[in-house]
Amino acid sequence: MMSTKGYKPESGLAAEIEVEAYRRLFPLQYYECHLAESVRPDSRALGRARDTTIALGPVPSADGSALVKIGDTTVLAAIKLEVMTPSIDSPDVGSVAVDFQMPPICSPVVRPGRPAEAAPVIAKQLSDVIMSSGMINLKELSLISGKAAWMAYLDIYCLNADGSLFDAALLSATAAFSHLQIPLVSLNDDGKLITVSEEVKDKAAVEPVNKENRKLTIAVVPFSLTCIVHGKYILADPTSEEESVMDTHVTVVLDSKERLVSLYKAGGAVLLHTSVVKDCIVLAKQRVEELSEILRESLSAMEVD
Amino acid sequence: MVHRIPLRGTRQRRTIRQKELQYSWRWQLEHWVPIHHRKAWNGDINNRKGQIFKKLIGLDLMVGISISADLPFSGQVLQALHQVQHMLSLARPRFGPRESKKAMLYSDVGRLNCHVTYTTFSTPIRGQGFDNKEYSSMLHKALEGAIILETFPKTTVDIFALVLESGGGDLPVIISCASLAIADAGIMMYDLVSAVSLSCFGKNMVIDPTSEEEACQDGSLMITYMPSRNEVTQFTLTGEWSTAKINEAMELCLDACSKLADILRSCLKENASELTS
Amino acid sequence: MDVDVRADGRTLNQLRPLTCSRNLLNRAHGDTTVLAAVFGPKAGTKKGENPEKASIEVIWKPKTGQIGRREKEYEMILRQTLQSICLLTVHPNTTTSIIVQVIGDNGALLSCAINASCVALVDAGIPLKHLAVAICCGLTVGGHVILDPTVLEEQKLKAVLHLVFPNPPLSIHHKTQSLMKDEPIEHGIITSVTQGVMSVPDYEHCLERGRIACTKISEFVRRNLQSLAREGLAKAT
Repeated sequence: MMSTKGYKPESGLAAEIEVEAYRRLFPLQYYECHLAESVRPDSRALGRARDTTIALGPVPSADGSALVKIGDTTVLAAIKLEVMTPSIDSPDVGSVAVDFQMPPICSPVVRPGRPAEAAPVIAKQLSDVIMSSGMINLKELSLISGKAAWMAYLDIYCLNADGSLFDAALLSATAAFSHLQIPLVSLNDDGKLITVSEEVKDKAAVEPVNKENRKLTIAVVPFSLTCIVHGKYILADPTSEEESVMDTHVTVVLDSKERLVSLYKAGGAVLLHTSVVKDCIVLAKQRVEELSEILRESLSAMEVD
Repeated sequence: MVHRIPLRGTRQRRTIRQKELQYSWRWQLEHWVPIHHRKAWNGDINNRKGQIFKKLIGLDLMVGISISADLPFSGQVLQALHQVQHMLSLARPRFGPRESKKAMLYSDVGRLNCHVTYTTFSTPIRGQGFDNKEYSSMLHKALEGAIILETFPKTTVDIFALVLESGGGDLPVIISCASLAIADAGIMMYDLVSAVSLSCFGKNMVIDPTSEEEACQDGSLMITYMPSRNEVTQFTLTGEWSTAKINEAMELCLDACSKLADILRSCLKENASELTS
Repeated sequence: MDVDVRADGRTLNQLRPLTCSRNLLNRAHGDTTVLAAVFGPKAGTKKGENPEKASIEVIWKPKTGQIGRREKEYEMILRQTLQSICLLTVHPNTTTSIIVQVIGDNGALLSCAINASCVALVDAGIPLKHLAVAICCGLTVGGHVILDPTVLEEQKLKAVLHLVFPNPPLSIHHKTQSLMKDEPIEHGIITSVTQGVMSVPDYEHCLERGRIACTKISEFVRRNLQSLAREGLAKAT
């Protein structure tokens, strides 16, 4: 416990019992001791997010995949594309189905047979954010107008839940979409679409329907930051421990053009004032820059490989 | 020379070069040596819970230890056998040992609960994520003999394995991965359990088969083995086998198992030294 | 959309007529109707909940069909919102269930449900810190803010926001719970749920407009509650 070295409780119970015991028995007071010193138990500054890494393509059999780690929170997203017939109302758009799963492996709170309450809510928020942000142009998922379009199944698995799940899930979703490589398809004699494997591509016997346009153009990228508001303190990117101790969570989603895609706060102990909202948005803006840099780096690293 | 093997269940015919079949196991064993190590997560010093990423030809091993205050025994192991079998699996003994359910009778030894789950994208065609009951019980049987259950009476250890990508030979990977996770979590074991499967095609044998190979195999064999004690915890044999061939296959598998165990061990050691340094 | 008069003849700033009847608790924003019922506090909390506090459970019943992701999300938002206004320490280790039955949905459903459940909690005598007043705002493509949009309007909107503001108690022991000394409690936001892309100033604008509209709603709620309280007193005596 590096950060606790600097803090010496002067009096009372805090001075008598062990740090770890104090942390378990009086979690809120333990955190308040830290916050007064403008530091968090994991030696982060209040407004600092944890180290974030993106690994692209961990699931080679999927069309696009990404493994995102924010601190200990680990999230794996994979996209599989399937050909479908578009609806008559919208003949030249594809569609995206988003699912978020929290298997029991991710957290002691989740028991097998009893799915996590938060999972469908996060899935809903994710699909709202992805669809409303205009990140994906659904027209790019069209193959033959009125006949065939791609159905993109985005499945996100939380492998380790340590707070800020939505942030990690959204980042993995955007990374997986950036990594998405649309497979070549061609029409066979029966007029059905079949995928063309890489080896036979050069043998010109079959003419792929979608020669160009193998990547999606991602116009704007939404990034999210969850903050905890506790009194006058704003803690960016909370761990699950912090989330359980303090219950005012604000999730700000901004896109790369600094527009607000979502500001989500549901209840919580502290009323949020406009000034605090503004502070959270400022933190989120900084985080957007950080994350877009990380995403850009991992994408360019992939191109080098 | 081309050797044709009919693919069962489909009208397609699949061509596998005979030479490749004969030497594939040898090729894999020879290349089970670490060629380079790198840290996958460039965390700073504060990030003590870093992960080690070991890149081996045909075998990727990733051990991530996430021992946090809430999870006194939590360990997490990510094991990937890329290229050879495109398979990624994750196991984590979690929350344990925890108190057994009240309804259960008192027992002097600990209980083991195993759950094997597949992700929706693990299979080539996207399906529903599902629990594999058969694999769950096989995993349970394979590990039961290796864990010193006497060390945690009245309590239960849950082991969750999540198959991220399945490309054949799933069960051995799940078992090895789970045993690594148990060791990582600090639960007492007699020895690490390493598991290897083998398929036979007529006269030829392939170690660590891919799902294409599994689809056209004549018989299969799986051994879970504790190398230091020279004990087999589970042995599964299906299909047509002659006694001589069983012996040969067993020798091959046991050899592969002890090599795999070395890799698992070095992986754990490296991770432990990472944590203490 | 950017004209001054809306399809149903309202101005941009106008709410649909509110009705609220208690005992058969039925709360309506025009033709969006929600029935909220409160049961409890019952003894015991669910496994995993803090037994030192009261637990709140929300059950959302859609008008037709099965409960889906949207309903799950609404359940969670509603629960967290109500948790923040309830005095949870008064009845520790109890569960209060709120059952929300949607009768008609013509826009602003979540806001309507929050208002309905809040009034239902008052009617059930569950101790509250303050009232929560919800409003649904919409942002047109032209950047205008409209209040309380209908379903038809919602489809044309660039962004839809559900905002919940507190309505402080009018007691003599008025003690501000606000931790920010420079801002009054009315300026706090209990819940904010947004959908759609907007600029940050647009959001702030919506907050302002929503807050002003909420004072009207809270006046309505208070008037309604007071009249019913008087009725109740008259009956009792």
